[in-house]
Amino acid sequence: MTIIVKQNVLKDLAVKDVMRRQVLRLPEDATIEKNINFLIKYKLNALLLTAKKNEPTGVVSKTDIMSAYYASLPIESPARDIMSSPPLFCGADDSLESALDKMRAEGIYRLYARERASQSVVGVLAYPDVVGLLYLYCSRCEYSLVNRIRKKLETDEVSRFRVKDVMTPTVRSFRENDSLLTIMEGLSAYRFGAVLITGENDRAVGVVSKTDLILAYAHGVSSSDSARTVMFSPVLSCDETEFLEGAIRTMIFSEVHRLFVHRGDPQNIVGVLSLTDAARARSGSCRACVSSRIKVDLHD
Amino acid sequence: MSTAKDLMTTKFHALRPDMSVADAVKSFKEASENEERKVFGIMVTDRHSRLVGMLSMYDILLYLRPKHVHIWGMMDDIEAEGLMDQACERLKSIRVADIMTPDVITVTSDTHLMVVLDLMIKKHIRRVPVVEGEKIKGIIYISTLFYHLLARVKS
Repeated sequence: MTIIVKQNVLKDLAVKDVMRRQVLRLPEDATIEKNINFLIKYKLNALLLTAKKNEPTGVVSKTDIMSAYYASLPIESPARDIMSSPPLFCGADDSLESALDKMRAEGIYRLYARERASQSVVGVLAYPDVVGLLYLYCSRCEYSLVNRIRKKLETDEVSRFRVKDVMTPTVRSFRENDSLLTIMEGLSAYRFGAVLITGENDRAVGVVSKTDLILAYAHGVSSSDSARTVMFSPVLSCDETEFLEGAIRTMIFSEVHRLFVHRGDPQNIVGVLSLTDAARARSGSCRACVSSRIKVDLHD
Repeated sequence: MSTAKDLMTTKFHALRPDMSVADAVKSFKEASENEERKVFGIMVTDRHSRLVGMLSMYDILLYLRPKHVHIWGMMDDIEAEGLMDQACERLKSIRVADIMTPDVITVTSDTHLMVVLDLMIKKHIRRVPVVEGEKIKGIIYISTLFYHLLARVKS
């Protein structure tokens, strides 16, 4: 009897092989301002909050801070007032697959890893790190684009994923005159990390991300100010026909969580490619990887 | 008995929290020239000259460090220059307050030098502001302490 077992490159990996071991914590009475300082300084998306005896009691993410900004909460307020509680955990020895399943089921972007015996927090697992690992595998693979070019191979027998195969084909955009409050409502309603900002004649002029918004909060920018005041420009984008491998590389390189996708003209934005989506796909960037994921076991 | 006030430098520079990091970098250069010593960290003060943080070269480098550096380390097709251009572009919207260390360990004028030494070792710090109430009196650098203590060894 032939049983087809689906495999992927992340099979056999444990959470501890992928997690980041540096877990930054702050006491839950630390101010929102201090939390922003830590998030920006250490380039994190969330912090673990602790109560007395170092007991983890909650998580503060950029989303939580954006909500505080939206609600005009004083920046000196304790993070306790806005944290998500309790934190969600997995075991450091758990399989990466089960942890990713849990993240997807719970609709969350990170899990804190605990050591089984002591129950102490020893790491944090987040999507960008998973994509980073996948990219590392890709770059080492003999089929990778970089290695093909290096070996000066002219034929490419591998069918590679292109950005259009995995991107989200809808884009939410806001006008550069829209207030930050309007932008925050949009980010919150669609659960996005960033939105496209358009100017005259619907030209794509910039991007406002949650990072830009928490910086605006820290810098005392009024939430009724326009998107133009805080947006990052130019828009980082790639063509929809670009290889996924290249796009992931650009994202990791530029430390962004998403690339906008254009068709031909950079002004013609047709989709978004996010690191989270790439991590959820759980495969490399070409079909050689996908086919190797199908393992055929022969049994008598 | 030697105390902090005997060794502190009263000539020091300060940054403001809302200053851009680019301007802070210029201040590092100016401070090094004016103080005729290499300045690796500068105090951050509010408009009432109260200490609110410390910005060190380390803090700025921490921000410039690529987030996924553990991946870059294992790959050989990375152009370092491009990486730094990207990092410097991101740095433009960052202010001193965003990346400074807000919790600064301080001593008072009458703190014993051995306590200052102990703090520097235990907390891995290289400079300690000397503060009385809300007023900054000076700053002690690890190099000053080092040469002060080692002068005895020599004799």
